[in-house]
Amino acid sequence: MNDRIRRIPAVALIAGALALTPISGSAQNSPKSSDSASHDRWLHVRVENPESKDEIVRVNIPLELAEKILPTIDKDKFHNGHVKIDHFDCQGVDFQALMSAVREAKDGEFVTVQNKEEDVRVAKQGNYFLVHVIEKDRDSKDKDAKRSKVEVKVPMKVVDALFSGKKDEVDLVAGLHALALQGDTELVSVKDREQTVRVWLDSKNVSD
Amino acid sequence: MILIAKVALAFAGTVTAAGVYTLHDGVAQVQVDDNHGTHIHIWAPAAIVPMAMHVAPLAMHFTPRRELPKIPRDAQQAIPILRVLAKELQNYPNTEFVEVRDSDTHVVVRTVGSKVVVDVVDPENKVHVVCPLAMIQDVVESLNDINVEADDSKADSGPAA
Repeated sequence: MNDRIRRIPAVALIAGALALTPISGSAQNSPKSSDSASHDRWLHVRVENPESKDEIVRVNIPLELAEKILPTIDKDKFHNGHVKIDHFDCQGVDFQALMSAVREAKDGEFVTVQNKEEDVRVAKQGNYFLVHVIEKDRDSKDKDAKRSKVEVKVPMKVVDALFSGKKDEVDLVAGLHALALQGDTELVSVKDREQTVRVWLDSKNVSD
Repeated sequence: MILIAKVALAFAGTVTAAGVYTLHDGVAQVQVDDNHGTHIHIWAPAAIVPMAMHVAPLAMHFTPRRELPKIPRDAQQAIPILRVLAKELQNYPNTEFVEVRDSDTHVVVRTVGSKVVVDVVDPENKVHVVCPLAMIQDVVESLNDINVEADDSKADSGPAA
């Protein structure tokens, strides 16, 4: 009897330790099912230096998270997920009217600039708004040598959503929401001698 | 003898319950090591921080109104962001959000389970911060309460002469 009583504190301690372990462990370590997150859409940004493989920036942002965070930011021109564009130097350009015209236009090239320094192409193609800029390397003997190449490819639905708010605002949350409905796509690609930048959308929570 | 056993059992039970409660939010860690001999390693139960924060509004009752703290505007703007961030990050366990690496610096921001982990390694410093998301949520809520209370108190005392 006495023996049993003597063991009680020890048993209580062991039981307490056992009880403590799973609770604190589950709070700290056990992940909730990451499968639910894997179905989300992720925006990835990767910056690399092609010469030095050591230099790299990787950003992976779930669009759902961005959609919820953006409305909470209230700073300067940023308010409730909208960015005021009245401070930009619009020079009288009505962006909404411009985008409306682009939306209603058929596929084709809107702007093409070709000179010794750069080639610029702005087009609408297959429900995508495209901007291509190639900066030429004037120092090179090869006249087609490129200093940098920028490719921007934005789904028209995203462009529409961005400019769906007030006349002087860009609705980022609506843009992100529209983006989340798109399939896997590369949005921005910048390549020059020093670095490459990629911004793309997919369903993976890690960049390639 | 039986009395001693009962006291020991009660003590063990209390310690266990206190331990469970203290650690239920996990442990916050801050580790800083630099080349100049500084080694700071802090492990603290995450539940302690909100407990301390809860005491802060109480302390404000004993503080002259004109001396009440006011959270800087920039920090106030960060409160709703942090609140949503801490809540939503719970949905993304074990995810790497940011990695920056160059020849001598490596920065990683990620979630491990229900904690945010920030690692910074450069030639001079090595910093490792682990912060349970539940703790961030509690702190943000408490900060908000303090701010609201400070606002109310200032409003009650009227405009400064």
